Order: sequence, then structure tokens, then C-alpha cells
Amino acid sequence: MTIRKFESLASVAALLTFCAAAFAAAPEPNDYWSGPMQGETPATLTGGRVLQTQDMAALIAAGGLALIDVAEAPRRPDTRAPGSVWTPPPHRNIAGSIWIPGAGAAQLDPRMNEFFRLRLAKAADGDLDRPLVFYCHLRCWGSWNAAKRAIGYGHRAVYWYPEGVEGWQDSGRTLAPAEPETPLL
Amino acid sequence: MTRFCLALVLFAAIAPAAMAADDETARAERWNDLRQSFFGQRPILEGSDKISLDAPDRAMDAALVPVTINVANPSQVKAVYLLIDDNPAPLAAHVAFGPAGDPRSLKLRVRVNQYTYIHAVEETLTGELFATRRFVKAAGGCSAPAGSYDPAALADIGRMKLRASEQSSGDGSVEAQLLVRHPNFNGMQMDQVTRLYTPARFLKTIEATYNNEIVFRLETDISMATDPAITFGVRTSQKGKLAVSARDSSGALFESSFDLGPQGS
Repeated sequence: MTIRKFESLASVAALLTFCAAAFAAAPEPNDYWSGPMQGETPATLTGGRVLQTQDMAALIAAGGLALIDVAEAPRRPDTRAPGSVWTPPPHRNIAGSIWIPGAGAAQLDPRMNEFFRLRLAKAADGDLDRPLVFYCHLRCWGSWNAAKRAIGYGHRAVYWYPEGVEGWQDSGRTLAPAEPETPLL
Repeated sequence: MTRFCLALVLFAAIAPAAMAADDETARAERWNDLRQSFFGQRPILEGSDKISLDAPDRAMDAALVPVTINVANPSQVKAVYLLIDDNPAPLAAHVAFGPAGDPRSLKLRVRVNQYTYIHAVEETLTGELFATRRFVKAAGGCSAPAGSYDPAALADIGRMKLRASEQSSGDGSVEAQLLVRHPNFNGMQMDQVTRLYTPARFLKTIEATYNNEIVFRLETDISMATDPAITFGVRTSQKGKLAVSARDSSGALFESSFDLGPQGS
């Protein structure tokens, strides 16, 4: 019984440690994040604003903004077993979003960088004060990088929605089918 | 021209309904597509009284989601399928049981790429299919980093361990857990050092026999987690040898055998 009590205390302690780790946000890197793209993200974005789901919904309802999803498209592995089924589901995101896979990478090649810069300028209708909201998945660094990049392009109303499509679904909201936008070859 | 306009109007009326309006509709369409590609026109009956699927509602680690499949009538089960609907390669496991296998309980660890239904399908000896499903909230399990191709990571590739329960279930079955060291690279993971995608290399089949009788034959793919751990039942009436052979996508063959019996090892 004593042992069991000790074990349960130990597991509570382990759980608390886990929770503390889960809620401790990563510090903001100085540059774009080049580590694993899935993992603990910062609580802040210098030069931008962080949105919770409720604020995000309110901002969308108010209108006059552009939503930018930078979730990666699933990469088809170079080797597949013969006969195995590769069938990624159609991508879904928040209705009305512009989906630019790859724009959240640590480094963009010049062509992609130019495409992203021009696409954001078009989305903002040339107005650097027009709100741009960046997101991808929960615990995904891509949207943090993309938002930081937009600040670098000179946009002054940059928002980051770190909860991503998972947070959006968790709040009971639905997603819509999306088509990717990529630079022409 | 009139006909063209009529067609346009018809299309406009039909298109929104055909498009997946909400997530549940999209998930239902996805399952419909999957069941056709994996099971053709065979009917799949609602089977929650025959087969149950256990998994966390919200997984702590999307690259390592534990899944348990239990069946109510093990003696009537030929095979079980585990499908992770919204993974790019949905079939995580097809496990066909042999005469030395006890299908009553099977545990695996899988990768989950986004919020999805997971389906478990039972195929009976008479060829009927029964399915049950569960919604799992996890994301990013397929692109989560899984190490690199450095020699240290691959030094003990294919090494196996077997843990058997001390007690048989009383009717001649022993539960055993097989652990296989294998990175199960899925080709979607980036090596954080080289910034390149680690080429895919994953286990394709694992076959276990007990005294030369098949326990199970597992066909798997990139949805299986790194270092596969499989818990399964073995019908054991006497002490014997459990032999395991596993083959990966590079053609490498790994073999091990273990002593197993009613009183454990």
C-alpha cells in the first residue's frame, strides 16, 4: 500500500514535470527557426501579435484581413514499397485562407522568397497596415517563421495564431478545402 | 447556349453539395474512398460489439501513439486491419493470424499526422468485415524528426527483444511483446543536421511462428512508429521456440528466435 502510494505520488510528480515542460514556451530565436519544425514554440513574436482562438475568430469576423496558412504539403517519400498506398487527404484549413506550403522554412530560395513577398503584398492590397494572420499546425514553427518574414518585408500588422488548424478544430469550428499556391516553374 | 447555361446552373447547384462542406463530411468521404481502395465493394458492417479500438483521445507524442485492438470472438478472426484515415499512407497494419496466433488482443504504436479517425477492421474466417473507429487528436507524427542515417543510429538495426507474460491466460495463451530496433524512416522526416530528407527505410513485413506454426504475419508501412513494439497472443501448449523474421524496404532481413512456454521463458 505504501509502495503504491509512493508510486502514485511519483506519477503525479512526473505528470507535473511533464505539464510544466508542456507549458514552458521556447525562447524566441534571433533568426528564423531552423530546428525541428514540430515542437515547443515561443509565447511571443517580436514586432507581431499573438492571437488566441477567440481573438482570431473576432478578427476574422471584423474582416479586412488576409489569412495565410503555411502548413507543409505531405512529401511523397522517394522510395515506396510496391503496391503500397500513398494517398494524402486533401488539405483543409480555415475558410478563405491563402495556402503557401513551404513559406515557413528557415531559409527560402530567392525565387520562393520573391513569390512569398509579392503574394503577401497582393494579399495586403499594397497596404502595409492591413492585418496578415499566419498559422499552420499546433506546435509548428513554420507560421512563426513566416510571420517573422512578413515583418521583415515591412508589414506592420502581423498576427501569429500558434494554435493552428488543430486549435481551430478544438474550438468546434470547421475547416474548408484548400489549394496550394506555389511559384510557377 | 441555353443548354450550356442550364449545365452551368446545374453545376453551380450540385458543386457545393458535392464539395466537403465541413470536417465530418470530409472524413466520411475519406473513409468511403479508403474502404473502396482497400476492400473494394465488400460490405463492411458496424462491428463495435466484435472489435474494439483503444487509443488516447489526445496523444502526447504524435509519432508514438499506442493503439490496442481487442476482438470479442478470437477463434473466428482471420485478420485485422488498422487504418489511420488521414495519414498519407493510411494502412498502418494488416495482421493475418495463423494457427499459433491468438487474435484476442493486439497492441501497436503508430504515427498520426493530423486529427483523424482511426479504423480497426476485423476479417472473419468466413470473410465478413466488421469495423469500429475512434477519433484521435494528434498532429505532426509523420514529419517529427527521427534521427539520421549515422552509423550509431543504425548499429543495432533489426535487434529484437521479446517480453512474455509470466502467466498464461488459463486457456493455453501467452501474451508477448516483440520489440524491433528500426528507425522506420518514412521519407518525410528532415535530418536537422544536413537539412535533407532522410530517405525512407521502413519495415514491410514481420512474421512470427511458434514451433513452426504461424502466429501472425504483419504487413506494415510508414505509419508504424520508430522501433516497432507489437504485443500479441501466442497459443502455447508446451515450451517452444518463437521465431521472428522481419524484412524492411531496403530488402534487409532480420531474424531472431526466443524460448517461450506456458510458464513464461
